[in-house]
Amino acid sequence: MSASAVIDVDRLNVSYGDFHAVKDLSFRVERGELYALLGTNGAGKTSALEVIEGHRTASSGTVRVFGESPTDRRVVRPRMGIMLQESGFSPDLTVTESARLIGRLTGRSDTVDRVLDLVDLTGKAGTRVAQLSGGEKRRLDFATAVYGEPELVVLDEPTTGLDVQSRDALWAAADRLREEGVTIVLTTHYLEEAQQRADRIGLMHQGTLRQEGTVVELTQTLPSVISFALPAGAPEPPIDIARVNGAFHVETFGLQEDLHRLLGWAHDTGVELQELRAGPTRLDDVFRAISRD
Amino acid sequence: MLAIARSELIQIFRNRLVLVTGLVIPVAVSGYFVYQHEIFADHASLGYIAAIVLFTVMAFGLYTTAVTTLASRRQNLFLKRLRSTAAGDAGILTGLILPISAIAIVQTVVILIVFGVVATEPADVLLLAVAILAMIAMMVGLALATAGLTNSPEHAQVTTLPVSLSVIAVASWVGITGTEDLTLLKRLLPGGSATELVVNAWNGGVPLADSLSLLAITLAWVVVAVALARRLFRWEPRR
Repeated sequence: MSASAVIDVDRLNVSYGDFHAVKDLSFRVERGELYALLGTNGAGKTSALEVIEGHRTASSGTVRVFGESPTDRRVVRPRMGIMLQESGFSPDLTVTESARLIGRLTGRSDTVDRVLDLVDLTGKAGTRVAQLSGGEKRRLDFATAVYGEPELVVLDEPTTGLDVQSRDALWAAADRLREEGVTIVLTTHYLEEAQQRADRIGLMHQGTLRQEGTVVELTQTLPSVISFALPAGAPEPPIDIARVNGAFHVETFGLQEDLHRLLGWAHDTGVELQELRAGPTRLDDVFRAISRD
Repeated sequence: MLAIARSELIQIFRNRLVLVTGLVIPVAVSGYFVYQHEIFADHASLGYIAAIVLFTVMAFGLYTTAVTTLASRRQNLFLKRLRSTAAGDAGILTGLILPISAIAIVQTVVILIVFGVVATEPADVLLLAVAILAMIAMMVGLALATAGLTNSPEHAQVTTLPVSLSVIAVASWVGITGTEDLTLLKRLLPGGSATELVVNAWNGGVPLADSLSLLAITLAWVVVAVALARRLFRWEPRR
């Protein structure tokens, strides 16, 4: 494990009876980075995350958090904040009581007022959790995860169920944590969140890590696509094309160069390119590609 | 642990259902037995009334409330939330059980003091205290084990019946008929030795050696209950 690695997962396997949920998973999260662990439903990311959080033991392989076993809660948890996928607060306690209880148990020092203010829940401080909306519960969850400014924060689908305003507020708070050097592990179904914010992304499918890298590295593994239609009787352009449902598709690793050639050809021949679309490969293209495997 | 216990106490007093099942019902039933103690004493002894009062509080006030609470906390993932902190498992469980146990102890002590004033005082207070503590340990262990088999607070209304009704039935059987017949069977049943221990502690006149053997069987039940709890208790809902 390198000196800067906060999380080190080495050949992790998690099985439930005959079902092998995680297979030989290895990855590392370096200090200060935002690592997004993404995957299809049932890809094994929740099982992997639960081992990292110390909620589940590995069938085989090792997981180290700050160089320690994540099940050693007294050592690891004071340095680690966890935002669970589901809230898990008692409905009979108020927002303040919930934040104070969980905050104190983290082993870190902070004030309830500060963390509630961070997620704009000060106005709900005396409200019982049973009366909060789903989005407010997620914000309370985030507040307890960042109580006492931990070095590592695990965000398990943090923005699911949040409206746009709440989502922006939560990410603004997360961005401030990053500026302070906090390491973040994220899972999300919103790929654009990972694309915008993650330093590195691990893509899981059927229990294995299929690809890992920066957004640029991942999207470079697939060609970009130029699509267009041609008027009847027009000649075909002098580049490699395929016909898909009557439209022409060009798959290219040199988007700018091929688009330039195509537009040059259209200009020279006087052909109008209809319904022309061109764009770089996006993360969801990579995601779909591994899902098809 | 104390932070969890404090929050648990707040939740108990904010939940009317728990208040009624954990506080009102055991006190009401016990109050009836104490009020009618002369009638019940004619059929058995004053020690029997002490035993049945004790088991009523333990079965409904402690055991049923603990199972319902633990099932509820697991169902809404509160247990998982607590385990996301630096608190250890033993500290979490102690914090959750402590207020319910403390309330049960206070209820028991108050009711037995009233009973002692209304009827007669117990012959051996120390032995009675030991019997009460052993019963609390046994019922807490059985509560943790039963909670492992209970999916929700609603489900607890069913899963708690076998143990709660059994211990009250055993306490009544042993308390009313004594242990001259079927001695071994009555003493080995859950709560059987504990009932005899309480009866002896209250009525007096039994050698200490006899009480120690009853205490040993009661403590064996504590070990069984704890072993079952370790095997059956779950922190998260089944998937």
